[in-house]
Amino acid sequence: MKQKTILLVEDDYLDVESVKRSLKKSNIPHTLHVAHNGVDAIEMLTRETDKVSPDVILLDINMPKMNGLEFLGIVKSYYSLKNIKIFIITTSAEEYDKMAAHNLGVTGYILKPLDLKNTKAGDTQKLLAELC
Amino acid sequence: MSIRVQLALGFFILILIFLIDFEVNQRLSNQVIKNTTYISNSETVIRNSNILHKDIIEMQSGFRGFLLTGQDVFLEPYYEGLRSVPVLVKDQSKLLSEGQRKKLMLIDSLHLEWIEYANLLISSKLDTFPEASTKYQKLFNTKFRAEVGKKLNDRIHNLFLEMDNSEYQIRQERRAALQETLRNTKTITLTLTMASIVLALLSSFYFVRLITKRISKMVKLAEAVSKGEFRTIEDDKHDELNKLAISLNRMSQTLKKNFTELTKKNSELDQFAYVVSHDLKAPLRGIANIISWIEEDHEKDTTPEIRKNLALIKGRTSRLENMINGLLEYARVGKVRKGLEKVNVSLLLQEVIDLLVPQNFNVIIEGDMPELVTERLHIQQVFSNLISNAVKYNDKAKPTIVIGAKEEQSHYRFSVADNGKGIEKQYFEKIFVIFQTLQERDAFESTGVGLAIVKKIIEDHKGSITVESVPGEGTEFRFTWPKNEL
Repeated sequence: MKQKTILLVEDDYLDVESVKRSLKKSNIPHTLHVAHNGVDAIEMLTRETDKVSPDVILLDINMPKMNGLEFLGIVKSYYSLKNIKIFIITTSAEEYDKMAAHNLGVTGYILKPLDLKNTKAGDTQKLLAELC
Repeated sequence: MSIRVQLALGFFILILIFLIDFEVNQRLSNQVIKNTTYISNSETVIRNSNILHKDIIEMQSGFRGFLLTGQDVFLEPYYEGLRSVPVLVKDQSKLLSEGQRKKLMLIDSLHLEWIEYANLLISSKLDTFPEASTKYQKLFNTKFRAEVGKKLNDRIHNLFLEMDNSEYQIRQERRAALQETLRNTKTITLTLTMASIVLALLSSFYFVRLITKRISKMVKLAEAVSKGEFRTIEDDKHDELNKLAISLNRMSQTLKKNFTELTKKNSELDQFAYVVSHDLKAPLRGIANIISWIEEDHEKDTTPEIRKNLALIKGRTSRLENMINGLLEYARVGKVRKGLEKVNVSLLLQEVIDLLVPQNFNVIIEGDMPELVTERLHIQQVFSNLISNAVKYNDKAKPTIVIGAKEEQSHYRFSVADNGKGIEKQYFEKIFVIFQTLQERDAFESTGVGLAIVKKIIEDHKGSITVESVPGEGTEFRFTWPKNEL
């Protein structure tokens, strides 16, 4: 089975660490790239050399420079990028954010902390299915 | 014009009409009295005139009888007349009008002329000296035969007739005038009375319209304001009521301004609490994460002391998280509105009880639980919090919860009572304040948000909540909820 490439867009060091640990504990083989904001992430996805081509993007909403929803809008407007599965990982349980994310075509909406061992939540299971 | 002045003016006009009425009546009745007096006076005049005429006629008859018979006895009425006639003339002249008096004076002077003539004849007939008879004969032939006396008498008689006739005529005129005056009095009094009645009615109608309509407008405004509708009313008059209307409008506007500001402040505060607690959660979760990583990474090389302290940190962070969640929940009260729906309280209670109350509890529902039109989630939150408190703070062997409902005018009064530990009276206020708990947090994990949320929800629905409790015996919460919020 081909090892999946993941791009994590997250500004908070602790949250990055948390996702890393969760992935590690789940024993799923993967390659993880981290961008600390939307601007960097777009750069990584579109640059000429060393372009990152992820299977899955894990995206935080509250970030400096370019927030998750803005980033999402841009990614979905790129023909070459719009089919990448995107999962929101956020602390925001706001209906507004959830609706906006779904309208922009995300695959899943997961509340922090990400826990791949305890996959009762439907969207976490979807993510697991994508990674395996 | 002010109402005071208008009222005074109305009364003044009415009083004026009555005064005019009084004055006119006074004048007319004076005229009636005058005419009546004249008529009765006139009767006396006629009577006196008849007596005078009779006395004069009797004098003339006596005079003639004496001349014919020569007997003295015939002269008695003559002498009587000489005494009575001047007195009667004098009396009569006082009663007569100017024209009539002239006639009487004429009668009097003719009568005196006649007396002169009669005295001459009488004295010559009475004389006894020899030439007297010749003198009398001569007089008798020249005067009596020439009808000097008779002519005088005829003139007197005619004058009397004339005088009586004109007296009758004047009396007739006066009687007609009297009738006329009486008729006029009636008409004028009736007219003026009608006019004052009409004026009184019109002015009372005017005042009723002027005052009641506007007062009821103001009452409506006050009622609207008490219900939170800050309207204003229009009033274009310039009087005392207008001043009241202006004050009411100003009050309404001030209240509106303050109320809007208050609402804005409140929602800002809620927003603030929401944002703050939301942002506080992220670093807190970070700390919790780091603690669990330390535990995972250094499982083998930590001492029991370190593990104990780490457990304490975890406990405190989770308490802080619970409090933040409570604050979030508190800030969110009223933000989540799904819309009004019919809520069967009996069914709702059953759901809450099934979810929250353990088997060993005895739950009694007293009275008929109503059906409300309200926000389902809100009333559910209230009952859930109160019932879970009743469960949480119960230390009795036979724990009991009694839930009741009583219908009142516009709302229901619900009660949730338990036989638990009870609350001291001095804490009755305190328990509704956020983060206030009556027990040490280490002994009993509670955030102290539940009752604050309950109170906020109930007050959002324009109700109120009170608590009664006897320490050691139990607690009863009573709250009101509107019947229908449509």
